[in-house]
Amino acid sequence: MAADARISGQALRWMMLGEWRARPGRVVLAALAIAVGVALGFAVHLVNLSALDEFGRAIRAVNGEADLQVHATGPAGFDEGLYPKLARAPGVAAASPAVELTARIEGDGPGVLTLLGLDILRAAQATPSLLPGDLGGGVVEGQGPFDPEALRLSPAALKASGRKVGDTVTLLAGGRSARFKVVGGLPGVGDSQRVGVIDIAAAQERFGQLGRLQRIDLRLAQGASHDQVAAEVGRLIPVDAEIVTARSEARRSDSLSRAYRVNLEMLAMVALLTGGFLVYSAQSLSVTRRRSQFALARVLGLTRRALLAQLFVEGGLVGLIGAGGGILLGLGLADVALRLLGGDLGGGFFSSASRPPLAFAPGAAAVFMGLGLIVALAGSLLPAIEAGRAQPAVALKTAGDATDPRHRPSPWWGAGLLIAGALAALAPPVFDLPLFGYAAIALMLAGGVAAMPWLARAMLAPLRRIKNPPPAAALAINRLWGAPGQAAIALCGIVASTSLMVAMAVMVSSFRGSVEDWLVQVLPSDVYIRIQNAETGGLDREVQQALAATPGVARIGFRKTTVLRLSPDKPAVTLSATPVDPAHPGLSLPLLGASRSVPAGMTPVWLSEPMARIYDLHPGRTMSLPLNGGARTVFIAGVWRDYARQFGAIAIPEADYTRLTGDTRRTDAAIDLIPGASPQKVIAALRAKLPPAEAAQVEFAQPREIRAVALRIFDRSFAVTYALEAIAIIVGLTGVAATFSAQTLARTKEFGMLRHVGVLRGQVMAMLAIEGALLGLVGVAAGLSLGVAMSQVLIHVVNPQSFHWTMETKAPLGLFVGLAAALIAASAGTAVLAGRSALSSGAVRAVREDW
Amino acid sequence: MPAAAPALALRSLSKTVPGGRRLFDGLDLAVAPGEVVAIMGESGVGKSTLLNLIAGLDQPDGGAVEIEGAALSALDDDARTVMRRDRIGFVFQAFHILPHLTLAQNIALPLVLAHADGREALSRAEALMVEVGLGGRGGDYAAQLSGGELQRIAIARALVHRPALILADEPTGNLDPETGEKILDLFLTRVRSFGAAAVIVTHSERAAAVADRTLILSAQGLAARHGG
Amino acid sequence: MRGLRAVLLGLAVMLGAAAAPNTVAPVYPVVKAGPTLSFPRDHGAHPDYRTEWWYVTGWLKTADGQDLGFQVTFFRTRPAVDQANPSAFAPKQILFAHAALSDPKLGRLSHDQRVARQGFGLAEASTTDTNIVLDDWSLIRGKDGRYATHVAGQDFVLDLTLAPSQAPLLQGQGGYSRKGPKPEQASYYYTVPHLKVAGTAVRGGKPMKVTGEAWLDREWSSTLLDPAAVGWDWTGLNLDDGSAVTAFQVRDAGGKALWAGGSFRTPDGTLTHLGPGEVAFATDRRWKSPRTGADYPVARTLSLKLGGAVQAFKLTPLFDDQELDSRRGGGPVYWEGAVRTGGGRGYLELTGYLTPLKM
Repeated sequence: MAADARISGQALRWMMLGEWRARPGRVVLAALAIAVGVALGFAVHLVNLSALDEFGRAIRAVNGEADLQVHATGPAGFDEGLYPKLARAPGVAAASPAVELTARIEGDGPGVLTLLGLDILRAAQATPSLLPGDLGGGVVEGQGPFDPEALRLSPAALKASGRKVGDTVTLLAGGRSARFKVVGGLPGVGDSQRVGVIDIAAAQERFGQLGRLQRIDLRLAQGASHDQVAAEVGRLIPVDAEIVTARSEARRSDSLSRAYRVNLEMLAMVALLTGGFLVYSAQSLSVTRRRSQFALARVLGLTRRALLAQLFVEGGLVGLIGAGGGILLGLGLADVALRLLGGDLGGGFFSSASRPPLAFAPGAAAVFMGLGLIVALAGSLLPAIEAGRAQPAVALKTAGDATDPRHRPSPWWGAGLLIAGALAALAPPVFDLPLFGYAAIALMLAGGVAAMPWLARAMLAPLRRIKNPPPAAALAINRLWGAPGQAAIALCGIVASTSLMVAMAVMVSSFRGSVEDWLVQVLPSDVYIRIQNAETGGLDREVQQALAATPGVARIGFRKTTVLRLSPDKPAVTLSATPVDPAHPGLSLPLLGASRSVPAGMTPVWLSEPMARIYDLHPGRTMSLPLNGGARTVFIAGVWRDYARQFGAIAIPEADYTRLTGDTRRTDAAIDLIPGASPQKVIAALRAKLPPAEAAQVEFAQPREIRAVALRIFDRSFAVTYALEAIAIIVGLTGVAATFSAQTLARTKEFGMLRHVGVLRGQVMAMLAIEGALLGLVGVAAGLSLGVAMSQVLIHVVNPQSFHWTMETKAPLGLFVGLAAALIAASAGTAVLAGRSALSSGAVRAVREDW
Repeated sequence: MPAAAPALALRSLSKTVPGGRRLFDGLDLAVAPGEVVAIMGESGVGKSTLLNLIAGLDQPDGGAVEIEGAALSALDDDARTVMRRDRIGFVFQAFHILPHLTLAQNIALPLVLAHADGREALSRAEALMVEVGLGGRGGDYAAQLSGGELQRIAIARALVHRPALILADEPTGNLDPETGEKILDLFLTRVRSFGAAAVIVTHSERAAAVADRTLILSAQGLAARHGG
Repeated sequence: MRGLRAVLLGLAVMLGAAAAPNTVAPVYPVVKAGPTLSFPRDHGAHPDYRTEWWYVTGWLKTADGQDLGFQVTFFRTRPAVDQANPSAFAPKQILFAHAALSDPKLGRLSHDQRVARQGFGLAEASTTDTNIVLDDWSLIRGKDGRYATHVAGQDFVLDLTLAPSQAPLLQGQGGYSRKGPKPEQASYYYTVPHLKVAGTAVRGGKPMKVTGEAWLDREWSSTLLDPAAVGWDWTGLNLDDGSAVTAFQVRDAGGKALWAGGSFRTPDGTLTHLGPGEVAFATDRRWKSPRTGADYPVARTLSLKLGGAVQAFKLTPLFDDQELDSRRGGGPVYWEGAVRTGGGRGYLELTGYLTPLKM
């Protein structure tokens, strides 16, 4: 007999399908909510994955899949004397030296390619994929692999430049230009990477790299231990070189965009979570409405467990359908996003050289499918337990929602969760990610929702004391006050989506505002000059003097911007030699806090905020910089705000830089004009003084344009954030609408009774509108305050921990007002619409109806 | 189980409602297989509670309920549920026909809950529908039926799994007197033709008249009514 | 003249293509008659000339009595690249080395190669004596006149010392050896035959003592072949009585000899130079490569006019498949194998049988 207590599949099917047939819209909506959440999460994940794959492919393509690689820490490279040392190191079977430069084809716009100067005889042993397919063919055709003018382009570079074999092109790199003839392709490089290969001797001679190499690729002898060889190589290399392995490159590329990717995935999770609330709402309502049906089934012989199982299967099926649809939708979304926005979803982390192909990840699909299912099941959990707990004999007699105004909601659950959230916000990052920060947001969200019944009653209590309110208002207030649990079900979606939206909006507006302020601070001059891709070259002294002497120029300050790799598994940092006065650094840098006085004989540097946070460096300490083949100890005098270089930047006085490196070339200049001078005329005059080889790479800009471009980039990188937010809000609003209409329809009998006892139709509508507006008001108030609290976690915990910069809170008040008005109007509107349809079915019939 | 075990036996049953008011104390009753017992009494005296106790939907404070000799108090919730499913049929004042199931499905529900084959259960339901005068309407829904017709469906549902005991709570309470009488006659005819015992809680004199035995429930307990 | 030169000549020619306005093209000295070779200077490299080689071929006998053929070759070439480029990587000199082992048990050649631009101490060829280093490969002439060579390939390692037993043999007119109808189609060419070999050969990871006899060809030039040439046949034979036979012919597209030459030196040092009309190669048997389809005359009868009489040498290969396909490394397809002859052993080289060699 005990075995018979199992649920009957047939009964389950009848009851579930009957319900779904009767109310398909609700099932579709709940499944859709899950689908949207899963789709967003999966799409963002896929795009990230595809982008990372592509990034990995790019690195492998350019690196030619060497076993081990020694890379220069900066674009100036290292001394070529390292090459024979490494070639002879034990365990090294082949060493291929390389000059690696960022180059542009003249007349081809801003697109760059990686120009490799290779010794093809050595590359053939270490990195054969970087070579043309058949050397023998080259011999027979009489095309020289040592021809100093021979340029081989990868398929992508050929395509992007529109050139073909036989064309002559001028390459710009290292601040110089030289003519080459395209003699062939590089089929081994793959279809998406822009790579050019020339002879190493030509590269050294023509692009000012004599005696320097940027890279040595190593192939290990068979049976040699990778770690042992790496250790041996590590002992041989100078400070301006470092060992790079596939692993460290992967870490570097991962850390490049990790925080950004994780943030996006978290946002997508928020959408999924909102979907979960919608499932909860839908299931709660469905259970409430079917209380007496379940009671009947219980009386007729459905066991409690079988009832729980039925509700779980219902929720699970909704989750499964939603999640399955979400995976398909996610694939489509990812494809569209990759095509429209690129691999970084507009974040600007990956070079826009190529659109990565979509990478399908079955494992991730399973995970997101599972997440969708879990969220749906979790959403069904509470309603199912509640349904199972009901006394069948009682439930059978009381149709619709059973509320007892004497029941007092407790604030403790909510308060406990909110406090736990606040505590989690204080925790440090984990794996360089603000995981506790996100946990804090989730806990605060859960706490806010859990506190809703109590909060709703607390907020409505003063309204009950109004003397002689209109009957409609009195009914509405008493209804909400008496059934705060019902109100909370309707509110949880609105609170969740409003608070998340508000949190994101406050964070983004704070970020944007801070960036705007910072742009004004860092761009005080009238005209700026920048040479693109000229880390190894730049304007020489002569040109600098000529530019300074241009009529209309009151003052000109030159800068050198170059990059340094300080750690093999972190992205390169920017080194900026700038005319900063150690006595008054605040005049040229947007300092955060005071600058220390520099001890005598020390070279001062000022670190950008991300730099200081990523490398855990503090003012007053010293650090070592690999410059010009030696490690130079410098004094950290202060920290400045920088939003431009997420991976860190170092400012060093221009004179000290020249002294330490001997490099007098400059890549940037800031120009103050004499009053009344026309920027356009001065720019034309300045341009005329540039040497022709460099003129093509030089950009002139005025602060206004730079600010506009910077903010455009900012908005582009947050476009997806906005979109995800909007979707979360739409999901939330849909939830509110569905919940309200369902609750209203469930009260058909109540309305029928009210009409019987003489309440006017208009009064019922007014009552519903007031109820809706009040609910919306409570939701918006709770959502706003919760959102502002969560925004502080985003601003002070999540952002510093993932992007390593801080910002000042700037609340978008206009948005708040608009959001509040829209939500209240939407709540009232849906309530009225639902009420109209509830009333239309007729008061008499409503009273007689049992279900 | 001895063959002579009553379909229902109440032994010294007592029940106090949450407010502290004692509904009844030391209630004894035995209903023989096939016997129809009508229980009457004033409102609030605890007639529905008594039915709930018999169905295992509520727990007594003292005493025992035995269905065909098996004490409900010895069973857990699942086992009581299975007992209800297999041995008891219900007819309610408010019909309780699920609106989203067809009429045949509603009738077949107790069978299907007991893991019967769906098609067999449905054909049995259709056969019963003929017996209650609604033959051929198995595919219809509750919304298409009048109150009397709904109660006929409920009667069919109460009988479909051949229970030993049928509990009816004011089966004619929501019907007009004329329809109520017809339904009552149908109910008794069917119950007797199935050989089931029945306990009917009712205000209807008619019901009391056609029952094998009529008992009055009061604070003093169950007492036989004479001369009804 | 030796076969793998084809590789180098190929490189040299193709490198000649580029001559940009601001560059300095190399000037190659012309090979002229009447040289005075001086040793040890001329054992070293002559970097001004377009191409040069140290070419060792020979027979080895393993400790268990098995016969092996071997070939160790170092080439130097001077590409026609800009001589003014100050880069240490400027490919002004390219070194190339090739080693092959003919094992009848294997039935085909094992071979490997090294190539690099000269410089950084990794690839160097001394101009004072034979001292060539190319990564882990080397050929070095010691103070006692013995050569030591180390080559390590994928399938084998050779560690050999080669001790001269006779004086160098100056080919042609005191080392001026003509290769074509025009006087500048010539090379400086000397040979050291009957080198006594001792050392170790590692095959399949197992080292084995070997002894044997080898032949060293030294040749350098700037212009070698006539434009009508498509290939050549060459052989060098160490005869058991201590005699040394050198013979070669340059073929045109019709298979006719455009030029031929050689020498015969008796153990007492009497040297007879042979010119066109005094050397003839006849074909006894051909072998067609199943891999490349090239059809090689692997068994030959070499006829030399010596003192008015014709002396014939039947050349029989150690085994047929001694073809070498070096196209992947930028070289030609050719046949280079150990051959026996009555009363002696040597090497035979056959080039230009698949496609004409482009010079």
